[in-house]
Amino acid sequence: MAARTHGGPAGKGTFWTAMMSVDRRIIFACVALSVALPLIFPLGLPVTPARESNDFFQEIEKLAEGDVMLFSFDYEPDTMAELDPMSIAVWKHAFRRGVRIIAVTMYAGGVGVAEGIMKEAAESAGKTYGEDYVFLGYNPDWSGTMLRLGESIKATYPNDQYGVDSGTFPILKNVDSYRDIRLLVSISASALSEYWAIWAGGNYGQRMISGNTAVQAVMIYPYYQTGQMSGFLGGLKGAAEYEFLVNEKGAGIRGMDAQSTAHGLMVLFILLGNVGYVMNRRRTRHE
Amino acid sequence: MTGPDAGMDRPGAGRTCAWNRIATWRAAALLLLLPAAPRAQGLAVPPPPRVADRPNDNGRALVLAWDVPDGAPPGLLALLERRDGSGIRDTLQAVPALEPGAAERKGSFTDERGPRAGGSYAYRIAWLARGDTLWSDWSEASEPSIQWFNAERVSVAAATLLFSGILIGFVAAARRGATLFIRKIPGLEAVEEAVGRATEMGRPILYSPGLDPMEEVSTVASISILGQVARKAAEYETRLMVPNRDPIVMAVAQEVVRDAHAEAGRPDTYRADDIFYTTYSQFGYAAAVCGIMMREKPATNFFIGKFYAESLILAETGNATGAIQIAGTDSDSQLPFFITSCDYTLIGEELYAGSVYLSREPLLLGALKGQDAARVIILAVLVAASLLLALGVYDLRPYLD
Amino acid sequence: MKRTGPVVFGSLIGMVMLLQYFSPHPALLDGYNLILDMKQVVFGMTLILGIVSLVRYHASKLKRKESGWFYSLAAISGLAAMSGSSIIWGTERGFYPWAFDNIQAPMQATMFSLLAFYVASASYRAFRVRSFHAGLLLAAGVIVMLGRVPLGELIAVEFGGHRYALPQLSSWILDVPNLAAKRGILVGVGLGMVATALKILLGIERSYLGKGA
Repeated sequence: MAARTHGGPAGKGTFWTAMMSVDRRIIFACVALSVALPLIFPLGLPVTPARESNDFFQEIEKLAEGDVMLFSFDYEPDTMAELDPMSIAVWKHAFRRGVRIIAVTMYAGGVGVAEGIMKEAAESAGKTYGEDYVFLGYNPDWSGTMLRLGESIKATYPNDQYGVDSGTFPILKNVDSYRDIRLLVSISASALSEYWAIWAGGNYGQRMISGNTAVQAVMIYPYYQTGQMSGFLGGLKGAAEYEFLVNEKGAGIRGMDAQSTAHGLMVLFILLGNVGYVMNRRRTRHE
Repeated sequence: MTGPDAGMDRPGAGRTCAWNRIATWRAAALLLLLPAAPRAQGLAVPPPPRVADRPNDNGRALVLAWDVPDGAPPGLLALLERRDGSGIRDTLQAVPALEPGAAERKGSFTDERGPRAGGSYAYRIAWLARGDTLWSDWSEASEPSIQWFNAERVSVAAATLLFSGILIGFVAAARRGATLFIRKIPGLEAVEEAVGRATEMGRPILYSPGLDPMEEVSTVASISILGQVARKAAEYETRLMVPNRDPIVMAVAQEVVRDAHAEAGRPDTYRADDIFYTTYSQFGYAAAVCGIMMREKPATNFFIGKFYAESLILAETGNATGAIQIAGTDSDSQLPFFITSCDYTLIGEELYAGSVYLSREPLLLGALKGQDAARVIILAVLVAASLLLALGVYDLRPYLD
Repeated sequence: MKRTGPVVFGSLIGMVMLLQYFSPHPALLDGYNLILDMKQVVFGMTLILGIVSLVRYHASKLKRKESGWFYSLAAISGLAAMSGSSIIWGTERGFYPWAFDNIQAPMQATMFSLLAFYVASASYRAFRVRSFHAGLLLAAGVIVMLGRVPLGELIAVEFGGHRYALPQLSSWILDVPNLAAKRGILVGVGLGMVATALKILLGIERSYLGKGA
């Protein structure tokens, strides 16, 4: 239901009132410290993979050498901190299994993100551009692209990101649509993962998994439960769980300590505010 | 599914992808490169494969099926060859003879690279083993055919027709003058008050139509509401600013606002520069809108459309400037952020009802009521299907899939 | 014609796309592919429209030296520098990758990181036990927030020989009540989408053409 909504009233004078109206700058400072300190002094908290992260991992484990994966960088630098750990871990895992990757992006800022990930993964695995992976680049019309890839990859991307004719790449020699792609991976900060599931999955039956920011991951549960997505990673924790599974300690696992303390601090502030609220309400009732 | 994939069984897809034309001499070389290939000793010559047209497609595929004999060793491969009507032969991919994980001793392959509607094709199969290639006879010639309708989607078609019928029925009723009730939506009731507040304070109104492109329903709904808000703003001669993330949405918004000004009898007060494009970057857009809010200090903010992670940044910044804020989105992950920071929030479908509510146009009202009726039907079907399944009476799921 | 033409055109295109979903016939498939190609071309052209609008907006602010004109200068300079650099040297060398790594990426990451602070202050302000339902929401929020981090693993009880940790409860909340609510909203939103799409196809919804339609 639509609701008239407002923040709660702020009073003055009493201890309880002060507890429920802490200056936001104090909150900001505490959050900053709770994130920074564990990064400097790691706590080493354990990581236990969730079911959906396990399923994500298994989908890539099922791929055989030579299989082709379509990887979509559906994010920009703003969410790099949360999604880059997933992307680099997937690329390294895939390369380790001999999987070939076709990369695309639906964001202009995704080009720089993609190039950084591809470079790092390819160099560490000794992979060759054009044979083991290719970057078809940015296409602004993402809905048309998702549908068109079901008919012809080369018609959708006549050239790669760098202007080279797509038809000249060995990786695309016998790969021209979703039917030639074993798995679609979408790492996304927006609803693009859902659109991939609807258009690539619903229209063409493309098998897919996704990695999303924590806020967006909540939206993925219905698709995962119905099997439209075979697995997903939710937020930095999902990235940490996946890194644990592929045995690649990266920014995901390193960030877990900071995320733990930050969440703990937020819960503390919420409880503090509520204690102040309840005590203040009792006081006003007495009065 | 449509196109060449229509009717294709996805679990078998890996067997149809990346096929190569392998000449017979290369097939022989393949045999030498398969040190682990079992001997075909003890295996009889296979019967010709069964060939059938793939259903629900555009006539570009034939499905081959065969039985694997009991004595066949694990890892046995099947080599397939096609012959068209003019006698030209193609050797297809070597595939595992037995379907992986299959309960019965059967194999299959979908040939979708060669067949074309109007042609006729025969196939033969060989068990591929070291030193032995046991070819079957040629199958009967088969012709792929084009289907006009994808039978796998009949339930979707039925639902679409039913829903369209209901919608058209209610629209027709509205056209005939039937009275259709719509409940109060506080967020939309407050639009007049919000525009009036901006007029009294002499400050502009900020309207963000969301981040999605024009083809998204939430954006269409937002633009409809923008038209109503723009008309009220034009009547009160209050400045309306509309920053956009998408250039098509910007173009549509300019048309809508200009027409709203003309309808209000104030075409001269329309300022095209107030409906502008910012950037396609999500947080670049958020930064731009926050900057506008801090500098221009609008008295009223509308956040109507599809929003993502930037929603809280927008709403908190607007809250900090003291503006009255009306939000509406179908992104339920962002609703909590809007609810905490905005004065009024339209949740989910209330956004789609927005333009209907404000304009009270009979046709749109009829369509909205049609939507409600369809929802009741879906609810009834869901409850009935769940009860039948829970009681073990009947499983309706295959019909709803 | 100005109003009817686009409605008719939109309806025809929409019908082809709708029919193509149900029919695999090659004629419809060809139409489908043609429409998708046209859409890509149109989209490319509208980017030009967006750039023109952006430049006009900021140029007029610069010309009139309105307050905040410096930001308009920064916007136009950034646009010129990034696009000029990528045209001359491409996106792999020159100014473009340096600006991406040292200006754009840190600035965008900074904007996103503001969320952490805003969420903290907003949740502190809004999560108050004003009623039973608000209390329920608070409890669920606390369980999910702690359950989604490794800290939650340390919060557990032993019962009947099994260890039950907070993440399991958090997963149940996300898998069951959250999923049920989300699915309900999805069905409703989906119906709204279908209705709006049908209204556009049938020409009932014309607000995208302007108020006079």
